[in-house]
Amino acid sequence: MGKPLCTVLFLLLFVNCCFSWKKDEFRNCNQTPFCKRARSRKPGACSLIATDVSVSDGDLVAKLISKENNQENSENQGKPIKPLVIRISAYQDGVMRVKIDEDQSLGPRKKRFEVPDVIVPEFLEKKLWLQRLKEEKNEDGSGILSFVYLSDGFEGVIRHDPFEVFVRESGKKGKKVLSLNSNGLFDFEQLRDKKEENEDWEERFRSHTDTRPYGPQSISFDVSFYDADFVYGIPEHATSLALKPTKGPGVEDSEPYRLFNLDVFEYIHDSPFGLYGTVPFMISHGKSRGSSGFFWLNAAEMQIDVLGPGWNDEFSSVLMLPSDQKRVDTLWMSEAGVVDAFFFVGPGPKDVVKQYTSVTGAPALPQLFAIAYHQCRWNYRDEEDVFSVDAKFDEHDIPYDVLWLDIEHTDGKRYFTWDKMLFPNPQEMQMKLAAKGRHMVTIVDPHIKRDDSYFIHKEASQKGYYVKDATGKDFDGWCWPGSSSYLDMVNPEIRSWWADKFSYDNYVGSTPSLYIWNDMNEPSVFNGPEVSMPRDALHYGNVEHRELHNAYGYYFHMATADGLVKRGDGKDRPFVLSRAFFPGSQRYGAVWTGDNSAEWDHLRVSVPMILTLGLTGISFSGADVGGFFGNPDTELLVRWYQLGAYYPFFRAHAHHDTKRREPWLFGERNTEVIKEAIHVRYMLLPYFYTLFREANASGVPVARPLWMEFPADEKTFNNDEAFMVGNSLLVQGIYTQRAKHVSVYLPGDQSWYDMKTGTAYKGGATHKLEVSDDSIPAFQRAGTIIPRKDRFRRSSTQMENDPYTLVIALNSSKAAEGELYVDDGKSFQFQKGAYIHRRFTFSNGKLTSSNLAPATAALSKFTSDCTVERIILLGLSPEPKTASVEPGNEKVDIELGPLVLREGKGQSVLTIRKPNVRISDDWTIKVL
Amino acid sequence: MASTDRRHLLSSKTHSSEFPLKMRIITRDCCRHRVRLSAKMERRNSTSPSSMTTSVTALMALMSLEHQLAPTGNSTARMLDICQSCYILLGSMMESAADCCDGSDEYDGKTKCPNTCWEAGKAARDKLRKKIATYQEGVIIRRQEIERAKLAIVKEEGELSKLKDEEKILKGLVEKLKERKEQIEKAEEKERQQKEKEEKERREAEEAEKEKETKSDDIEPMKDDIHIGPVDEPPQDPVEHHEKSINEPELRDHSVEDRLSDKGVEGVNEDPLQNAEQLGEASPVDAKAGVDNGDQVENKAEDTESLSREELGRLVASRWTGEKTEQPKEDIDASPSKDHTNPGETPDGTNYEDDNGYDTEDDEHAYDDDVDDSESKVDDFGGEDHYDSSSSIKPESDDESDLLDMTGTSSSSWLKKIQKTVKSIFEAVNLFQTPVNISDAAHVRKEYDESSAKLSKMQSRISKLTKKLKQDFGPEKEFYSFYGQCFESKENKYVYKVCPFEKATQEEGYSTTRLGSWEKFEDSYRTMQFLNGDKCWNGPDRSLKVKLRCGLKNEITDVDEPSRCEYVALLSTPALCLDSKLKELQDKLDALNKEQPRGHDEL
Repeated sequence: MGKPLCTVLFLLLFVNCCFSWKKDEFRNCNQTPFCKRARSRKPGACSLIATDVSVSDGDLVAKLISKENNQENSENQGKPIKPLVIRISAYQDGVMRVKIDEDQSLGPRKKRFEVPDVIVPEFLEKKLWLQRLKEEKNEDGSGILSFVYLSDGFEGVIRHDPFEVFVRESGKKGKKVLSLNSNGLFDFEQLRDKKEENEDWEERFRSHTDTRPYGPQSISFDVSFYDADFVYGIPEHATSLALKPTKGPGVEDSEPYRLFNLDVFEYIHDSPFGLYGTVPFMISHGKSRGSSGFFWLNAAEMQIDVLGPGWNDEFSSVLMLPSDQKRVDTLWMSEAGVVDAFFFVGPGPKDVVKQYTSVTGAPALPQLFAIAYHQCRWNYRDEEDVFSVDAKFDEHDIPYDVLWLDIEHTDGKRYFTWDKMLFPNPQEMQMKLAAKGRHMVTIVDPHIKRDDSYFIHKEASQKGYYVKDATGKDFDGWCWPGSSSYLDMVNPEIRSWWADKFSYDNYVGSTPSLYIWNDMNEPSVFNGPEVSMPRDALHYGNVEHRELHNAYGYYFHMATADGLVKRGDGKDRPFVLSRAFFPGSQRYGAVWTGDNSAEWDHLRVSVPMILTLGLTGISFSGADVGGFFGNPDTELLVRWYQLGAYYPFFRAHAHHDTKRREPWLFGERNTEVIKEAIHVRYMLLPYFYTLFREANASGVPVARPLWMEFPADEKTFNNDEAFMVGNSLLVQGIYTQRAKHVSVYLPGDQSWYDMKTGTAYKGGATHKLEVSDDSIPAFQRAGTIIPRKDRFRRSSTQMENDPYTLVIALNSSKAAEGELYVDDGKSFQFQKGAYIHRRFTFSNGKLTSSNLAPATAALSKFTSDCTVERIILLGLSPEPKTASVEPGNEKVDIELGPLVLREGKGQSVLTIRKPNVRISDDWTIKVL
Repeated sequence: MASTDRRHLLSSKTHSSEFPLKMRIITRDCCRHRVRLSAKMERRNSTSPSSMTTSVTALMALMSLEHQLAPTGNSTARMLDICQSCYILLGSMMESAADCCDGSDEYDGKTKCPNTCWEAGKAARDKLRKKIATYQEGVIIRRQEIERAKLAIVKEEGELSKLKDEEKILKGLVEKLKERKEQIEKAEEKERQQKEKEEKERREAEEAEKEKETKSDDIEPMKDDIHIGPVDEPPQDPVEHHEKSINEPELRDHSVEDRLSDKGVEGVNEDPLQNAEQLGEASPVDAKAGVDNGDQVENKAEDTESLSREELGRLVASRWTGEKTEQPKEDIDASPSKDHTNPGETPDGTNYEDDNGYDTEDDEHAYDDDVDDSESKVDDFGGEDHYDSSSSIKPESDDESDLLDMTGTSSSSWLKKIQKTVKSIFEAVNLFQTPVNISDAAHVRKEYDESSAKLSKMQSRISKLTKKLKQDFGPEKEFYSFYGQCFESKENKYVYKVCPFEKATQEEGYSTTRLGSWEKFEDSYRTMQFLNGDKCWNGPDRSLKVKLRCGLKNEITDVDEPSRCEYVALLSTPALCLDSKLKELQDKLDALNKEQPRGHDEL
């Protein structure tokens, strides 16, 4: 597509046209009836009360009915109100689940959609079987409370009248943690039979008509987070980490945070507007208590208001909210589905994330190569281009692991095919790269070209595997290939069929070193409403698209990842990058922040976006380095590489209208600096991989907001320009042009060591640092040990047997600790115990390596002959001269050496050379 | 890093006892094209040390060679094709610690890097020999070229000065003839006016009489108009219009389809009905656009509500692709709706078809108009300078032959003839004779027309020659023969045409995209630069850099577009086969051959 053919005519018509975000093409809240209605409701409008409260099947169940004497307040007046059923259950580790739906015994028009295949089966096994129910009279006279044990120190409570559900610290005077319907905004529109023609049944947006055969079916309610200073989460928005209020005193006419997966052309950098993915999970944090979390499993369009303090002042008398607790109120609105909500008690930020990922699953452990550097562009034109880029990396001694092919590699955007002219020998091409330990990725999108000679289309249309339009015909939309249909991935049978397409036989030209990229899976439909699929399109099980829209891309991602697992006979960890996401996407691969722009603002906003994704379980994420649209100036590109090297997912990508921007195209000096940035990532791969394993085991993300590591340090709560990589490394981006200085806040009471120079900085202070073009500030926290591999190779796979360097940054009590996780980097054997997991502890002048892997006999073993070749000691004085290695009582010298190889400058640091201890062994090194 | 540290690091054993490899690097200066490296190895098994060292030396020689030969990244990349593993590993080896040339210490057994260094060295020498052979032959061709060019230039300069002299004379004659012609015409005019006046007076008299007779008949003809109008003429017109409006868009649509199928958004609906539908939508769009407040042009273009589903799909797709799907492409108005809706957006569009001519020399076009634009305009009529290159295009001259007869040796005779004729005219024609003698007048006119036509041809020849001789043909005029030539290269569906000193284009079927107009030689005559080509959407004007290298034929190869709308191509030509370079190469080969045996020893 790079050829100029098309461009001439284009310029004729759009000479001065700069594209930008097409705001008008997307609905705002006022154009979205359910949002408009819900947002205009008054606090206390809910007239439901809980009756028939009992324990059944280990759950607390009750009916929600309209209170008769409150009828005049009801907005449901005139509509038949059937009782709703509420079911509250408790799960291990402080998770409470609340489901509210129509009463199935009363035969609603149809079963409302509940999102399948998101909650992991292991979670369901953690259910606590509630035995008995306690009741008490509320002290403030607001009536009866029924409560159940939730976890140590926490209770789940339902207030009967007016109905409210909350979690509190145990005891009658226990403080509230988080609650639902405390502001009385709960509303549940029940499915109806069609009666009159009005906006309830049909709605137009621009040229699109949306029929609503069941009438309006939205749900809305308020959720309050107590003792919270800020709330975070609910991606995906290009906005700050701490969510700004969208309603309340002093908030100018803002839209709610929208959660509706959309392919947004040239999104802007500070907006509550919904982007490519959705996770309706919010986490709060406050100094006095810590964190709590709320997750609503619902795949319909959602809009969420963060209500600024004082938003409900005029209603305070009605609401009876505790005044002694700081609180953040939020309003949640969804177009359809049921209430299936999860309350996470925390109390630490990591606890909440663990609790959340116990429901939706922990992030998959990627292959080692996947966390190294990826080189992408729309498009690497042909095999020659691929080889030449590959060769240039070698020529400039820059490592990279994966080369990507965008849509143009296909035969007419028919995925699983190759353009025979441009890529005549795809297998040979992949093998040539694989010979150097490198991998390739091709794109596979969910839109299928409607072409009877295309095998995927032929089979899919014969088998009826496409999403149907409202009339029951195969939905026909427009995307890259032109007229296209979309596979109905919510159906497990279709997912399984799709997964088979990735076998080496079916995907002709694929090899084991080829992995996959799922784009456009919101789904993007160029001629659909808001560039997506009509909401009245029909899925498997007669589910309307409106009910599952936000999960469509998730199922596609899932099916593709399953395909790669199948392809590798269950032995090869898949790598699939997806643009759309939903709770649970972390189990299937990486996501990136979509089509960003080559602007400083986009560099800046990439950090809160990635941190938010991490908080909501999706640890493996990144932004396109360099910015997708537009040409970054050299300085921006360099800064982006320097920051991107710390993204969990590190990929450079560019639009096909942009100039080539491979690392060596910006002069010798810049090539050098970019190379250095990439080298930093490669050097830190052992540390990153250990963190990915931590995420895989606990859900705690690789890139963390500062407050996750320093939950008591208020100054960190809305800092989203610096972030932690694991618990040991703090990274501060440079987001402005020609920056001379940067202010870095270093939290905590321990020192921080500059990663390049070893210079120590005091914690708990803001430092104004000089910046140079060669790196961005990064600091190792005192008290930590970071494992590195300092030898530079062509790709991560070539580093497999390289020796390690341990960097020990001692804290004020001359102690430090860190971990190292190692496995084969590709298979699933680690799940059977085939890995090395060490803890390094330095205290009393002794460095000890001990085993962290369970002592029980593993089903499978992993060994490594890798040794430690350097141990760097930061913050040790007086300077020791020798060290002795146990076992063997061998003496080694301690001398001065460089902190980072290749760095010309920087002071020399204490280095124990060639202790020659194996990382798989227990050993002790004593500093003498 | 302190040097001690480095040495320590470098001389230390690798961590893995399986590969006891010891290397010591004495100097490293690879940035300055030369790397001197000494490697000492102790190997218990695997590759023999001698071949290791040899290959390192060979590689070093190769590196320095390649660096000096061509500083461009291209040749280095080519070198890497031969000797990938060695080069990299050298890089790594010098930087970090132990590493060896054959890749055997990149431990992952599954990714063996082949040891190609020895072969690479040999291959490099063979390649060098080949290159030298090319240069040897090329140098001769080049010398001949330069000789020819010098002769031709002398000849042309002579011709130019002669033409200029003759032009002066001819100009004088033409002026005289013009004067005479004008005099005659004045006389004729006078006669005519006289006649007219008489006629008028006669008619007026007649009409005055008529008017008196029929004053009430005025209405009659008007009735006729009314009667005739609706029955005859109007029905014809609409039919014609109608046909046009049906046929034209259909044609247009098909052409759009053809184009689209080659582009990002594919799978154009082949259903003609669909196309008809789109056409039907054209007018609503039109109406809408009128209503649109139109604060921004793009807003109009983005008025998606009235688009058909397919149009909407294409439009949205085009945001990413930057392709104009339903938009007209250059000469063909592809989309009626767009075209009608936003005429304001296509300021250049309307005259695109003339584009190919707009910036070429107008004076030449005075008589070049019938030459097809897709043909190159060739000013060189000498013809003797042409290479046998199949890709170059022979000059196409229709008027040139015409000019030849006046620029040939007999030039003075035709001039004399004209002079004589003119003289006879002046003698023969009595100026103030009225009525004008018709045959005399015709004679004068004919002479004037012929002479002034010759003059204008002569002038255009002069301006062409002047322009040509003004060009920079290189220090030795070695690029003289490029003038008026075009070199073609076919890559997939495109034909690239590079016409030095003029322009470069990319053709696809009948559509032509200008990649740039001639700018200049750059990089000490090793690059030709064409700038200011057709503008790219949302991007720069197209440009083309043609890198020149020694070759026996003029041949364009490797046209590429590394960045969007920035093209590069390679032109091999004897003009670049320099003696000095040949000598350099020979020295290099000698050096390489000499170094060969020494490679076995330690430095």
